[in-house]
Amino acid sequence: MIIEMSRVEIIGLKIFLDKTIQTLHDFGKIQVDDIRDIPDLMIQPFSPSEKMKREREETDLRIANINGLIDTFSKTVKTKKIEEFHGEKLGSYQITENVADITNQIQYLNNRKKTLQDELITFSKYMEMLKIITPFIPEDTKNSGNATIRALIHSSQTATMTLLANQLKLLTNGKFEMITAKVGDETSAVIGIFPLELVAQVEGFMKDEKVTQLILPEEYAYLSTEEALIHIEDKAQMNHEELDQIEDRMKRMAEEWLPKLRFWLLICKDRIDELETFQKSGETDYTFTIFGWIPNEDYKNLEEILSSKFSNKVSVRKIDIPKQLRGKIPVKTKNINMVEPYEHFVKMRATPNYSDIDPSFLVAIFMPIFFGMMAGDVGYGLVMLLIALFAGKKVKEGLLSDILKFLKFGAIWTMFFGVLFGEYFGSLGEMVGIPPIWISRSESTSIFPLLIMAVSVGVGHILFGLLLGAWNAFLHKSRNHMFERIGLFIGVVGLMFLVGTMTKSLPGGFKIVGWVTLAVGLVTLSVSLGVSGIFLGPIEFVGLLGSILSYLRIAALGLASVFLAEVANELGGTIPSLILGLLIAVLIHVLNIAMGILSPTIQSLRLQYVEFFRRFFQGGQSPFTPFKRRVK
Amino acid sequence: MEQAIIAVAAAFSIGITAMATSMAQRAIGSAGVGALAEKPELVGSIIILVAIPETLVILGFAVAAIMLIG
Repeated sequence: MIIEMSRVEIIGLKIFLDKTIQTLHDFGKIQVDDIRDIPDLMIQPFSPSEKMKREREETDLRIANINGLIDTFSKTVKTKKIEEFHGEKLGSYQITENVADITNQIQYLNNRKKTLQDELITFSKYMEMLKIITPFIPEDTKNSGNATIRALIHSSQTATMTLLANQLKLLTNGKFEMITAKVGDETSAVIGIFPLELVAQVEGFMKDEKVTQLILPEEYAYLSTEEALIHIEDKAQMNHEELDQIEDRMKRMAEEWLPKLRFWLLICKDRIDELETFQKSGETDYTFTIFGWIPNEDYKNLEEILSSKFSNKVSVRKIDIPKQLRGKIPVKTKNINMVEPYEHFVKMRATPNYSDIDPSFLVAIFMPIFFGMMAGDVGYGLVMLLIALFAGKKVKEGLLSDILKFLKFGAIWTMFFGVLFGEYFGSLGEMVGIPPIWISRSESTSIFPLLIMAVSVGVGHILFGLLLGAWNAFLHKSRNHMFERIGLFIGVVGLMFLVGTMTKSLPGGFKIVGWVTLAVGLVTLSVSLGVSGIFLGPIEFVGLLGSILSYLRIAALGLASVFLAEVANELGGTIPSLILGLLIAVLIHVLNIAMGILSPTIQSLRLQYVEFFRRFFQGGQSPFTPFKRRVK
Repeated sequence: MEQAIIAVAAAFSIGITAMATSMAQRAIGSAGVGALAEKPELVGSIIILVAIPETLVILGFAVAAIMLIG
């Protein structure tokens, strides 16, 4: 149901503007219009002071910082909790201080983490090379008294290295020893060992000859290869431990601060809303004006609140809705609890127009029935109901929650149609002697009645949609639209008479009635479409028939589901092992139930959106967004 | 023989329309997912767009059913 809205004007002394905005924010049932967007208004928009501008900038920055921290912490901890303090609210200064403090801590931890990770990457390269080289170092040289140069070279460079080694031997009076070993198909490890005092001489020579050495960090450079490897491994281990500690600390911080940050974010957003409301108002030297929308039922309440708080210093009055704003009235819908999920489904398509019918209640009736017609199995319905009840306790909000609420009713209809079709996990019911009340969908003779059922449902649904559309057009005083829908309605009725006589469901005399009705419908439709109606009318009518045939999906999906259930039972029965057969049957049934939830949900929603809504629903108006505190 | 031909024709009727539907849905679906990443509020319109080509296969099913029943 669409709630009736009133347009209000609040006028008061300018010194009370701040307090009025706070009061409206607490009241939470008025949508404030931006005075700058109202055409032909001779009121000057409010100009914010420097202090206000600065506060806005600071709050925006605070929100950006909080969002940054929330993003960082959300990667560590998966919680949607918001910690609310019901005591005194934190001021903006305290929030800024806290946020800055947390940001500093996080920055330090992130920097440290990056340093450790970079070191680990370097260490892993050293360790990899040292582990290759170490086995080739002779036992007698593995002490710190000797210096070592290490390099990994391409095998083709081995001969050059031997020449270099000979030169180094001469340079060091025979105190240089080189070992070369193949460590891969094309790679050789080269290890040169020499007395520590000759380091500068040897390294200088290697540099001149442009041999790329494995240069270890300074603290390991003068250790033997084995000692260097041990030290680097120890350091890498320490880095890993410190990284774990940092992760732990980040997790603890996230658990502690994430709910608080979310709460502070709401406080900041509330303040931004207030600052924006200032700018949406108008002002003179001594007074202010605020325009807005309020549900009719809440107007009296607002009047009383303003009168009790400000006596006659601030007043509110209802004003006429200007013609140019009639298409912009915000839309608020109110439905009983059971219909609420369907209200969300409708809004997923578009918010209804203010002067339209809210189709939520109709969707709440038709969608579960169509779902039940498609799924139609007592066993499946029972499983779906259990899933909906169990998961519904865990999921309290969002699209999934809406789908689960819908599934409860869908499952009940699934069981109802399951009884009509005699389906209990496919043909299991028939096996134990439970016959169908109406038809068994698994028999080939049932296909025709099923198709008739689907088309009949389509005809009924679309005719109902056309009636609603005609009524809507009547309310909008749109004569052409009204006659277009009436023409389509009469045309379909005429066609049904013809089909009835052709299938001998109606006496032959109805044939003439059918032709006449169809002709009247087509003429009405064509006339309503104007000059091009002679071409567009028949095209529109054929399009409508396509929409009716679209309801055949009810039969098609039902058949697919029943035959998959048959496959599960048949396949399970053919396997000699009882347990294996049962397992296979259960697996296929589980798959069928999963598909049976997904596909009929989308298809029944689609029938509402595409075939039904198209006949009467336009939508697209803005929803009612009251100026309301996020934090009470 | 006639029954076999009817069965093959029914299979083609479903098969070809199913392929046409899947090709259309592939294009619409991938574009739709891209659009949803930018504007999640378009979910209703995307469901409609993705579901529209399914009418093709439903009509294919109707033709197949008429062939088999008739």
